[in-house]
Amino acid sequence: MQLFSGSSNKPLAEEIVKTLGTELSPIETMIFPDGERRVKLNTSVLEEDTVVIQSTNTPVDQNYIELFFIIDALKRSGAKSVTAVIPYLGYQRQDHVFRDGEVVSLEVMIRFLESLKVDKVIAFDLHSIKIPELFQIPITHLSALPLFAERIQSKAFNALVTDNPEEFLKDTILVSPDMGGLRRIEQMAEMLGNIPWIATVKDRDLQSGDISIKQFDGPLPPSELPGKRALIVDDMISSGGTMVQSAQLLKDNGVVSCDVFATHAIFSEEAPELLQDSNIDRVYVTDTVAVPEEKLFPKLHILSVVEMIAKALKA
Amino acid sequence: MAEQNNDKVYSEKARDFILLTGRANQPLAESIGKILKTGVTCPISIFSDGEIRVRIEPNLRRRKVFLIQSTSSPVNDHIMELALMADAARRANASEITAVIPYYGYARQDRKEMSRVPISSSAVASLLVNAGINRILTLDIHTEQTEGAISEPWDNVYGSYSLLPALKDRKMQNLVVASPDKGGFLRAAGYAKLLQAEGMAIAYKDRDLSVNNISETVNIIGEVKDKDVLLVDDMIDTAGTIVHAANFIKERGARSVRVAATHGLFSGEALKRISDSAIEEMIITDSIKPRQEVLNNKKISIVTVAPLIAEAIRRIRTGESISQALIL
Repeated sequence: MQLFSGSSNKPLAEEIVKTLGTELSPIETMIFPDGERRVKLNTSVLEEDTVVIQSTNTPVDQNYIELFFIIDALKRSGAKSVTAVIPYLGYQRQDHVFRDGEVVSLEVMIRFLESLKVDKVIAFDLHSIKIPELFQIPITHLSALPLFAERIQSKAFNALVTDNPEEFLKDTILVSPDMGGLRRIEQMAEMLGNIPWIATVKDRDLQSGDISIKQFDGPLPPSELPGKRALIVDDMISSGGTMVQSAQLLKDNGVVSCDVFATHAIFSEEAPELLQDSNIDRVYVTDTVAVPEEKLFPKLHILSVVEMIAKALKA
Repeated sequence: MAEQNNDKVYSEKARDFILLTGRANQPLAESIGKILKTGVTCPISIFSDGEIRVRIEPNLRRRKVFLIQSTSSPVNDHIMELALMADAARRANASEITAVIPYYGYARQDRKEMSRVPISSSAVASLLVNAGINRILTLDIHTEQTEGAISEPWDNVYGSYSLLPALKDRKMQNLVVASPDKGGFLRAAGYAKLLQAEGMAIAYKDRDLSVNNISETVNIIGEVKDKDVLLVDDMIDTAGTIVHAANFIKERGARSVRVAATHGLFSGEALKRISDSAIEEMIITDSIKPRQEVLNNKKISIVTVAPLIAEAIRRIRTGESISQALIL
């Protein structure tokens, strides 16, 4: 098996091959003066099983086109199979027509991956449970939730949050920042021994895109919030606005601590500053998206999905 | 009389065609719209994380849709805008979707020039067809074989149609048309014939593929002494090749050296090189939206391809021949 990395998340790719006890196969990307790029595989892949690792986060179009070109080069060079590891699948929030006349961008990307004859895709925590159904090729849909559950139950984390680690889960609740994340929150609650959960309700103005979070929903009555420790769980943090507003509402209602767990660190706009200056206590993300140094902040903790990807590739 | 008929067709509310544009070259799209007496809509906006959003508001049902987009720099974003507009148009039940691509990016990655590289221009064409495009219209595509990358119709028209009147205006004497490299000989021959040139010349260069955009003029075939020389090419990128050739020709005693090219990319040091060169004037088209510093460059003149592209769109819409009238 030969593994190639695109340019979006080299550190993750390097950790994956280290875990697998191998090395990245050489690939070179030349950038021309007009901004066009040319990829070149610097090793034979004839009759080989190949893997390409590329998250399609910002700059999303460049990362997708690079992925397409690498796959095109692998196929034209006679690779036996191509597995695309796309830890963060860009355009995944545009997975259906919200308003007449709109594009379904995710489908354009998926159809093209299929037409390039990719054999298999591995992705993490897709925004909607229906996304795997859009693929006509095999897709392994992995989740970072077990990783989060493990961290939440660790002594080290419990000691951070409370003086009485033994009793940690007793006063801890899960929070979905909007009603779209119910399935995710139910899975997480089950992993943590069916602890209670609540959701904050997000209203989005489709014209302006502005969000506001002012009320609760879900099985736990808001009257029981005082004194609780909240763990907000979501698939991604984009501008951070949702997380910050959700945490604000929770603290206004008597919650004593608020930690965030989200798989994909998109961190658009001023997200790092917004999160650091908010009343969120800690922010946990994974390395599906490489967080550049200038976007790191003291409250941020990054967990690694390397082991899970390595395991999926060995399977 | 014919024009009156056109006015009637265009003034009907439910026209049978509609022009949409991406963000690459909106002024050109507007000019095309003006000639075709119709508005042009740009359906693109951008999410905060940089993802493109397309929403087409006009009704497209059973209409012929023309998506005008040069895939110039930033090339990947411009390609994706085009693909996503095609998907939205297809879902909105357009009867036919034509991608009008005055400048086609990645056109130079048209073959496996070495082992284990993609054929990027082919991959881009497949992406567009996959997204819903039924036909492609390009202007001076770098190599016409690229048209074979897809099985859908692909029309290619030439910038010479728009450049020739401007070139004739220059009233060049003892005109010699020159190609800056061996590959451009046929293009130069075409211009030479249309401009009734006195002669032709070819500059030779050896390009080392392993080194990026490095080129060297080594020799020239043809008589240029005391001639007005016109160098022709399909595109000006870093301008290294063309400036080498122009300076060499001037050193050989040419009276003047002009350059005509369809696509002005002007990457890297191109503008400075042109300013410092022996080139008297460079005439290009607006297939790529000229940046302000291009407009400011005293040696560069720009002619518009809007009438050519508008006429090609009109002919695609009505089913008339493109090759008979538009290819000189």
